[in-house]
Amino acid sequence: MAEILGMEVDEEGYLLKVSDWSIEIANVMSEEDGIELSTEHWEVINFLQSYYKEYEFAPAVRVLTKAIAKKLGNDKGNSRYLYSLFPYGPAKQGCRFAGLPKPTGCV
Amino acid sequence: MSLISIFFTLFFYFSVLIFITGLSYKVVQYWNTPAPLKIPIAPAPLTKSGVFLRLAKEVFLFATLFKSSKWTWLFGWSFHLALVLLFFRHLVYFWPGEIPLILLKTEPLKYAAYPLIFGLIGLLGRRIFVDRVRYISAPSDYLMLLLIILIGASGMLMTFANNHPNMLLVKNFAEGLITFQWSELPKEAIFLAHIFPVFFLIAIFPISKLLHGPGIFFAPTLNQVDDARKKRHISNWAMQKEKNTKIDLDHNQDKGS
Amino acid sequence: MSINSIEKFPTYLAIPPLKKDSMAGNGPFKASIEIQKDLGFPGEKVDNWQQVAINKIAETKSKYRSVQVFLDSCMKCGVCTDKCHYYLGTADPKNMPVARQDLFRSVYRRHFTFAGKYFPKLVGAKDFDEDMLDDWYNYFHQCSQCRRCAVFCPIGIDTAEISMAAREIMNAIGVGQKYPNQILGKINKIGNNLGMPEPALRDTLADLEEEIEEETGASVKLPLDIKNSEVLMVTPSADFFAEPHIDGLIGYAKVFHQSGVSWTLSSYASEAANFGMFIGNYDVMRQGALRIRKAALDLNVKRVVVGECGHAWRVAYSFWNTLTGLGSGGSDEYSLKLQNQLDSNYPQPQHMIEFTYDLIQRDKLSFDKSKNDHRVVTFHDSCNVARGSNMGDIENGQFILPREVIKAACNNFSDMHKSTIKSATFCCGGGGGLLTDDLIDLRIKGAKPRMHALKRSEQDNGVNTLAAICAICKSQFSKVLPNYDFDPYMIVSVHQLVSDAIILTKDSET
Repeated sequence: MAEILGMEVDEEGYLLKVSDWSIEIANVMSEEDGIELSTEHWEVINFLQSYYKEYEFAPAVRVLTKAIAKKLGNDKGNSRYLYSLFPYGPAKQGCRFAGLPKPTGCV
Repeated sequence: MSLISIFFTLFFYFSVLIFITGLSYKVVQYWNTPAPLKIPIAPAPLTKSGVFLRLAKEVFLFATLFKSSKWTWLFGWSFHLALVLLFFRHLVYFWPGEIPLILLKTEPLKYAAYPLIFGLIGLLGRRIFVDRVRYISAPSDYLMLLLIILIGASGMLMTFANNHPNMLLVKNFAEGLITFQWSELPKEAIFLAHIFPVFFLIAIFPISKLLHGPGIFFAPTLNQVDDARKKRHISNWAMQKEKNTKIDLDHNQDKGS
Repeated sequence: MSINSIEKFPTYLAIPPLKKDSMAGNGPFKASIEIQKDLGFPGEKVDNWQQVAINKIAETKSKYRSVQVFLDSCMKCGVCTDKCHYYLGTADPKNMPVARQDLFRSVYRRHFTFAGKYFPKLVGAKDFDEDMLDDWYNYFHQCSQCRRCAVFCPIGIDTAEISMAAREIMNAIGVGQKYPNQILGKINKIGNNLGMPEPALRDTLADLEEEIEEETGASVKLPLDIKNSEVLMVTPSADFFAEPHIDGLIGYAKVFHQSGVSWTLSSYASEAANFGMFIGNYDVMRQGALRIRKAALDLNVKRVVVGECGHAWRVAYSFWNTLTGLGSGGSDEYSLKLQNQLDSNYPQPQHMIEFTYDLIQRDKLSFDKSKNDHRVVTFHDSCNVARGSNMGDIENGQFILPREVIKAACNNFSDMHKSTIKSATFCCGGGGGLLTDDLIDLRIKGAKPRMHALKRSEQDNGVNTLAAICAICKSQFSKVLPNYDFDPYMIVSVHQLVSDAIILTKDSET
C-alpha cells in the first residue's frame, strides 16, 4: 500500500482514513499534481471538509459552487472556475486534497 | 463390393449418424437452455409476427449482413443460395423409385456452381487479404472454405468439362444409400474428391462453426419479442429461486439467498 | 482554432490497420478483499481457480442460452471487426468484437468441445492459463457492453453477453474490478452508487428547491420519501451530485411541477443505476432491483418513473419485470401485489422522457423555445437505451421520443450522421463499468468515433450542444470533450433543455 507522509493511501492516491489528513499532506498531493495551493483552493478544501464533517459525504458540485459564490463572489461561484482551480475536477481532486474518500458512481 | 465402395458407404452412414445425433443433441441443448432475460437487439420487433418477419429476412436475405458489409453479403449470400439450389439439383440422384417430374427439371440449377465458387473465393480472399479477418481466422476456417471449394470445383469439372463418371453407377450408389441396397460407386478420383469432403462436412456439422445454421434460430437477440414490460418473462431457474426463497410480504423481503 | 482551420474529419473513421498489443496491460484496478466479500465473491483469487472457472463456465452456459449459442455459432465472417469503437479508437485486434469473444470461445472450445479437446491448434482452442486470464481481465474490461457489434452480427451474437459472463466467471474465482464492485457494495448498504447518505441528499434537494425558486419565482419541489405520492422517481444518483446531470434533475422537477402529478424520490432507493448488469450477476442485479420494488411498496406509489440513465433504463424496461415482477403479466404473489397497487393505465416502469413526451402530446406543457436559441442541439443515443429498450411502445420509440422532447424545447436540432446514431450509435466510450479514472486512456480513445461524428456536425451544421439521457455518457463526455477540442460544457441533459425552456406556473396563478 502506498503512503504519503507515512499515511496510507489507496491505489488512486486517496487517504484511507479521513483522520490521517494534515495540511502537509494536502501540500504534498497538490505539489505532485503541479498545483500551488492558493487561498481560493483552501476555501474549497475547507468547505469540503466542513461539509463532510456534517454529512459524512462530499457536497454536490452545485452545493459547492454556491458556497464558494457566497465566500469568493458570484464570478467565482461556477464550475468553470472550480475546474480552473482543480483541473481533474473539484469533486475528485478537491476531495483527494481534502483527505476525503473519492466520490464514486457515474461521476 | 470393392473395398473403396464399402469404405464410402460406411463413411456416409457414419457421417449421417453423427449429423443426426449431434445436431439433435445441440438443438435439444439449445432448446433446454433458458434465456433468463429479455435481450432482443434493436431494431427489436414488438410482436410475434415481427419476430417471424425478422428471422425470415435474416435467413433468406441475410438482411443484417447486407447492412454490415456489402461485399461479405454478396459473397456469403450467393454461396449459401447456390448451396441450396445445388442441393435440389442433387436430390434426383438420391430419390428412390419413380422420380417426380419437378426433380427432372432441375438440370439448369447446375449453373449455381458458378456463384458458389465466386462466393467461396470471395470469402477466402477476404480471409486472406483483410488483416482483421486474417487475425480472427483459425486453420479450420480456411480448411472449411477449401473443402467446399474442392466440392464445387470437382463437381464443375465433372459437369462442365466432360469428366462425367458413369451416371448409372452414381444413381445406383446414391439411391442405394437411401434404400439400403448398396452398390458400387464410380471410382474416378474426381468423383471421390467430390463426395469425400461432402461426407466429411456432414460429419463435422454438429461439432463445428457450421452450427451457425441452427444457432441463428436460437439467438435470443433475434428471436425474442420486445414486450418485457407487458409480459413477465422468467426462466425456470429464476422462478425456482423465487419459490425456494419464501417471499415475506409483510417485511417485503426475500428470505434466504 | 477557427472552423476553417479544422481539418474535415470523415464521417466514418478510417478503419485502422491492426496494431497488436497496443492496449496490452494489467487492466483496471482490482477489487480488494473486502469489496469482493461484500458481494459474496471470494476475496482473492482462489487456488484452484482454473477448475472453479471451468465449472463456472459450465454453469453459466447452462443457465444462459445466449452464452451457449453464441459460443457455438460464430462463423468468423469478420463483419463485426470494424464496428467496435474501442477497436476503431485503439487498433488493438483484441478489441475487435469477435476477437474479444474468442478469448472466451477458445477456452470453451478447449474444455468443452470435441474439436478443441483433440485438435486445439486446428480450431484455435486454448488452455485457460494465467496468460489467458490476464487477457480476459484486460480485454473484458475494454468492452462497454454497448452491443453495437450485435446490431451488425448476421446471426445475432451479442458480445455484451459474453463479456458479462466473463466478468461473472472472473468474480467467481475472486478476480473482480474495483470500480463496479465497490459501487455495488455502496448501493447495497446506502442505497446509491455515490454512497450519499439521506441527510446529504435531503440537504442537496432543499438547496436545489431554493435555487429554482430564486431563478424562476416558482416553488418547484423535490420531494423525498413522501408516502402515497402518485409517482416514485428513480434516477441515477449522479443527478444529485454531478454536473451537468443536476440540471436534468431540475428539469424533471419542473415537469412534475407543471404536470400537477405528485411525486417523490426515495432515500432507500436513491439509485436507478444497476451495475449488477455490468458484472453479469443475476442475483446482484436482482438485489438492486428489489430495493426499488421495496421503495415502491413502502411509499405506496401508483407509478414508477426512471430518470436519465442508460443502462438503468435497459434494466428497468427489459429486466425489472423479470427480476421483481414490476411490470405486468406476472402471476406470482409479489407481481400481483404490485399490479394491484400500480396504475395499469400507464406502462410500468415509465421513462421520464415518456412522461414528458406524453404531457407534450396532450398540450400540458408550454415552452419558450427561444430560451434555447443560442443552441444548435444534437442528440447522442445512449447505447443501452438505443439497443436494449423501447419507449412509448411504438417501434423505434426510443429514438423518436427523446428527439421529439428536444424539438419541443428547442428550435435548432440536427442529427449526427445516420451511421452513428439510433441503433448504430457509437458508445460514449465510458459505459459498462469503464467510467473510472484508471481507464482514462481507453475512454479517450474509445470516444473517438463519436467525437468524429460530432466534429462533422459542428462543422456542417454548427452544432454546439450535445444532449444525452445517460449519466455515464454525460460524465464521460464532460471529461473527454476537451481532448477532441470541444467545450466540455456542451454536454447537457435532455431535461436541462426542457428545464431552460419550460414556462412555469407560479403558485399565485394556480
